[in-house]
Amino acid sequence: MADRNSDVGGIPMEEVVVEANEAIRERRRTRVPEKNWVRVWDHFRREWQIYAMLVPTIIWFLVFLYKPMYGLQIAFKDYSIFRGVAGSPWVGWEHFQTLFANDQFIRAVRNTITISFYNLLFGFPAPIILALMFNEVLHASYKRTAQTIVYLPHFISSVIIAGIVITAFSPTAGIINTILGWLGMDAVYFLTQPGWFRPIFVGTGIWQEAGFGSIVFLAAIAGVNPSLYESAVVDGANRWQMMWKITIPSILPTILIMLIIRIGNVMEVSFELVLLLYQPATYATADVVNTWVYRQGLQSGQYDLAAAAGLFNAVVAFVLVMAANTLSRRYSRTSLW
Amino acid sequence: MPGVDLEGIVKAYGAVQVVHGIDLHVAEKEFVVLVGPSGCGKSTTLRMIAGLEEITDGDLTIDGRRMNRVAPKDRDVAMVFQNYALYPHLNVADNMAFGLRIRKMPKAEIKTTIDDVAEILGLTPYLDRRPADLSGGQRQRVAMGRAIVRHPKVFLFDEPLSNLDAKLRTQMRAEIKRLHTRLGVTSVYVTHDQVEAMTLADRIVVMNDGRIEQVGTPMELFNDPANVFVAGFLGSPPMNQMRGTLTETGVRVGEAEIRIDGSAPGHAGRDVIVGIRPEHVTLSADARSSPLPITLDLVEPLGSEALLHARHGEDALVFKADTNGDIGHLSGVEAVHVPAHLVKLFDAGTGRALKPGG
Repeated sequence: MADRNSDVGGIPMEEVVVEANEAIRERRRTRVPEKNWVRVWDHFRREWQIYAMLVPTIIWFLVFLYKPMYGLQIAFKDYSIFRGVAGSPWVGWEHFQTLFANDQFIRAVRNTITISFYNLLFGFPAPIILALMFNEVLHASYKRTAQTIVYLPHFISSVIIAGIVITAFSPTAGIINTILGWLGMDAVYFLTQPGWFRPIFVGTGIWQEAGFGSIVFLAAIAGVNPSLYESAVVDGANRWQMMWKITIPSILPTILIMLIIRIGNVMEVSFELVLLLYQPATYATADVVNTWVYRQGLQSGQYDLAAAAGLFNAVVAFVLVMAANTLSRRYSRTSLW
Repeated sequence: MPGVDLEGIVKAYGAVQVVHGIDLHVAEKEFVVLVGPSGCGKSTTLRMIAGLEEITDGDLTIDGRRMNRVAPKDRDVAMVFQNYALYPHLNVADNMAFGLRIRKMPKAEIKTTIDDVAEILGLTPYLDRRPADLSGGQRQRVAMGRAIVRHPKVFLFDEPLSNLDAKLRTQMRAEIKRLHTRLGVTSVYVTHDQVEAMTLADRIVVMNDGRIEQVGTPMELFNDPANVFVAGFLGSPPMNQMRGTLTETGVRVGEAEIRIDGSAPGHAGRDVIVGIRPEHVTLSADARSSPLPITLDLVEPLGSEALLHARHGEDALVFKADTNGDIGHLSGVEAVHVPAHLVKLFDAGTGRALKPGG
């Protein structure tokens, strides 16, 4: 029997190959390139289900983020609720000049940055450390119970959290002052002293969010290849060395992504918690941009000035997140985009 | 005693016992391959030697020292993992240096060692690259390099080639063999690939269901399998097995009677399993062979040889035949001829091999 690969339908293989090549060249020569919109339409028809699933998110962004941007223009107008956004006259950078001439606003910016810095310094590593500690706990039920306990504060309303903090630091019935009393020290009214606001605020934030924040790092740790640890054990590494040389470097991309997101929120100090914990006596260290905007914009009716402050906040946050993303991409090959 | 000794090694997870009392001696500089199907306990046994799994019962000694309670780092073993276990954030040099740094070896000595081993493995140009920038074969070499730099007493390999494609696996197999010859370190190698086992091993340990079925050199296991499991596990395609009954001069399989060497006249009528290797049959008769009629189902050409898929009665059989460049002449095969001296017999009840004459 002849070799079945030697011909195709009685035509020698070489001829078939030559004809096929010519046909391909001819097709390339005569083919009209498809227009872009045709390709896009084809793609849309093929993948329409994915776009359908995207619609609710797009609507959410349009309604709650993009449409309000229309109102941002009042930062550059002498806004009156009677004339409306379109009818109010343009005033250029006047509101920004007013803002930067206002000592209270400058103080609020300084407080926002300082509190955010402390939050970043102490609050950002806290969930990472917690996740690393949970990872070292071998007793499964103890680990589960401990995790549940530290996650709980996240689900408590900020109002209740503030209530707990105010009660705990109360000069009469608070546990802190009770302990100080046992130690023979005088009671301190912590929440009226500007020097204590930031430590209490940052500490409260850590207590409330570190547990829940540790979930993302625990998930990253769970994704580390277990044989890396086994290999390290055979190589002679102890648990401390494995944490430093395997776990932390392995979750570094996650840490960096979370850091970029956190830096993007630097100007967004927890508004509710500040509002609930601060009082005029602690404005010097506690008043942040958002609480200042709240007081000026809503309570004093200066919407245009508040919008200018809000826009300033957003621009600073945008610059920070861009810078963090660029630095991260350059030095660690990890970035959000 | 130098080498690795396992005496009555048992592994249980709660009430479930997965390794049932293994006895094995791996001599110094020997290359022993543990082979068996998935779940047979071979990797667990290796991990017990490494110290990654606790030994439930029995004794493990390395170079005469009992190791049951000794930490993995103090056993002087190095392990190569199936997925290489390379640290993704470290470059090749740092990956190889990891264990040495942990042991606080002086920097200059680490560098010399890494350079030497990288030279042996052909990794010198890649020392600054991270694992993600390497091919599968290069990663495998780094994993071996990391084991070699430690100069351990025992190398442990846990299916190190199973993530590579067929061509690369063949190359790396040869490389491992060369390295073992050069370094002469006692090695225990786990695989489910019988070709790896046959080509690499000084001795093969066939495991099944947490027990050792047979230990021997590759050719001993191939030629004299201790039972039907080993006979069916080693060899590609595996040994054909058919039920038969002993006669005065041979064995009856269906309507055919196959002569065998060393037949035992006193055992006529005994039920046996007849084992015939696919490559042991011929298509032409000679004085020492008996015909086995077959119904041919399919001929699979492999190039120089072909696989004949056939049936004899209820039994599905596979035989190998030379093609001599053409498979046309194979389509008419109606019988294969079985040489008397190559027929294997196994007890029909226990599956154990029966000795000729017994």
